[in-house]
Amino acid sequence: MTLRRDHVGGLLFLLLSVLYGWFIQDIALLPGDDLEPFHARTLPTALAWIGGVLSVLLIVTAGPVSVRPENDGRWYIGLTAGLLLLVVVFGLVLKWLGFLVATILFLAGGFWLLGERRPRMIAAVAIPFSVILWLLLTQALGVYLAPGKLVTAVLGG
Amino acid sequence: MLDGIMIGLNTAIMPFNLMMVFAGCFVGTFIGMLPGLGPVSAVALMIPITYGLDPSSGIILMAGVYYGAIFGGSTSSILINAPGCSSTVVTAFDGYPLACQGQAGKALALAAWCSFTGGTVGAIILLFAAPALATVSMSFQSSDYFALMVLGLTAVAAFAGKGQVLKSLIMAVLGLMLATVGTDVTSGTTRFTFGSSDLIDGVSFLLLAMATFALTEVIMTVLRGEHVKPQAEIDMSKLGSMRLSREEVKEVAPTVARSSVFGFLIGVLPGAGATIASFMAYGMERNLASVKEKLKFGKGSLRGLAAPETANNAASTGSFVPLLTLGIPGSGTTAIMLGALIAYGIQPGPRLFIDNPDVFWSVIISMYFGNLVLLVLNLPLIPYISRLLVIPNPILIPLILFFSVTGVYLVSFNTFDIHMMVVVTVISIVLKLLAFPMAPMLLGYILGELLENNLSRALMISDGSLSFLWERPLSAGIMVVAILALLSPLVTTLRNRRAAKEPQVAGAEESAA
Repeated sequence: MTLRRDHVGGLLFLLLSVLYGWFIQDIALLPGDDLEPFHARTLPTALAWIGGVLSVLLIVTAGPVSVRPENDGRWYIGLTAGLLLLVVVFGLVLKWLGFLVATILFLAGGFWLLGERRPRMIAAVAIPFSVILWLLLTQALGVYLAPGKLVTAVLGG
Repeated sequence: MLDGIMIGLNTAIMPFNLMMVFAGCFVGTFIGMLPGLGPVSAVALMIPITYGLDPSSGIILMAGVYYGAIFGGSTSSILINAPGCSSTVVTAFDGYPLACQGQAGKALALAAWCSFTGGTVGAIILLFAAPALATVSMSFQSSDYFALMVLGLTAVAAFAGKGQVLKSLIMAVLGLMLATVGTDVTSGTTRFTFGSSDLIDGVSFLLLAMATFALTEVIMTVLRGEHVKPQAEIDMSKLGSMRLSREEVKEVAPTVARSSVFGFLIGVLPGAGATIASFMAYGMERNLASVKEKLKFGKGSLRGLAAPETANNAASTGSFVPLLTLGIPGSGTTAIMLGALIAYGIQPGPRLFIDNPDVFWSVIISMYFGNLVLLVLNLPLIPYISRLLVIPNPILIPLILFFSVTGVYLVSFNTFDIHMMVVVTVISIVLKLLAFPMAPMLLGYILGELLENNLSRALMISDGSLSFLWERPLSAGIMVVAILALLSPLVTTLRNRRAAKEPQVAGAEESAA
């Protein structure tokens, strides 16, 4: 028997339901709760069971679709990973370099990853966009954007 | 009711709120035109902005964006045969052939007029139906609410389409599971936080919506390689006349009337939104057409364009009925709006139009304005808005990514959220590749707390017995409908197996899912 798409999905959710069910025992109950008809564990327990039953049903009734998703072109896995990594880096850089610099770097990185390689074009969009947005947020809307830790370390807080 | 309308008018006519309608429709049209981004993503992108507004303005903005996005989706359906969202897939069936025949202008004008009529008729019915339903729902008890929410979650599955029923249910359960993460409201104990202080407040709704709809949709277009496909060139000189002749108006008038009411009714049903309404209206119109006219469907029939366009707007209006009166969202988009309302501390439901009449009525009134704006402002501007589609993808995609990420960050100012978003996005990409629908998850997540509270109250009253589900006639009735909704796909599957169905229709249904 080949592995079908719904087998994978069903197994994933079965695993999730079991894990979810397992961690229910970590939920602390109030004294006397076990005599009550409803407490903090009631709904999770029901959900774990329903989730488990539905996953098994999905596995049993899996349609004949192979696990390989169809696409009428090639998959851009590397690029996708790159963009997601860029978001992660943005989150890290934001703390250290501040909003303005992080935004410019993020946008420039995104443009570059997606194939825009002309440095002038990248700069012409990324810098004005970031500066205008930063001015709009801090000056017009009065949003406080914390300066980056590196910036304060160098220039002083 | 007149008082209400006056309150609504007063609120909706405030210059700022009028501006929100304009801005919403405009932004919505633009986002809706972008292939891959539909109303759900458009409304999700608006959440961070609405946090800075007062409730009425925020909801007015979102409603405007919702309409605009559906309208924008029709535009790209007609002009470049690339539906921006699922509810305008049918529009392309007859709209694109019309554009190919050099009648793009007429098709766009007809689409705009139909959307306007559908939306207006919907808004008028809403005006009368919503307060009436709200009055009735005042007598609802917690067991009825629980039953209604079960109905809402099962109905999503029932309308999910072939082979998607179980997956929708599983996703709804996943949403409910996610909703249990964090501090339990009734007992105050933490659940599933694994000792992390970032999870004590639970998973942020904004984060979940933005990650699953905005971020994931954009990343998916990249993953599928749609960003390298040549961008469609729109030749504006070939738009043709935007006028409709008197005969043509006469031809589509009955269709528009039928589809408005029909679309609205479909929209009211929890779980069935604009997409299903447009498909069903198209099917109904084709069945009603004479043999000779039937041949025109799919080749540029005006009726074939009018029916889905009217129905999808009427249905979007209709989906506000359960949201405003019962607090139960009927679709992914209204689910996001419910989340936004709750974030304002407003509990939509039967008490909404007593406690916050300004919100209730101004939403309804601004729907008229929204429809007017679409017709008066957007239609003539279409040639210019579609120019924006010419922004090259390598520039556009990072900008959308940036907006979805900072949208979350600028509300919480916590970089943990940015990383959490990436995690949620990766998970939802895997789920999407496994063909799991995302909307039921969001619906389950939003209903989770309400469902638990009502279940807890009902169980306490009945002293732990599940008899509350059938002892009150109302609860029992709703539960029966829920069970029927759950069983209906099973029945259709069995029936389909017996009688070989028209292959074309089956294909259409599949693409709807």
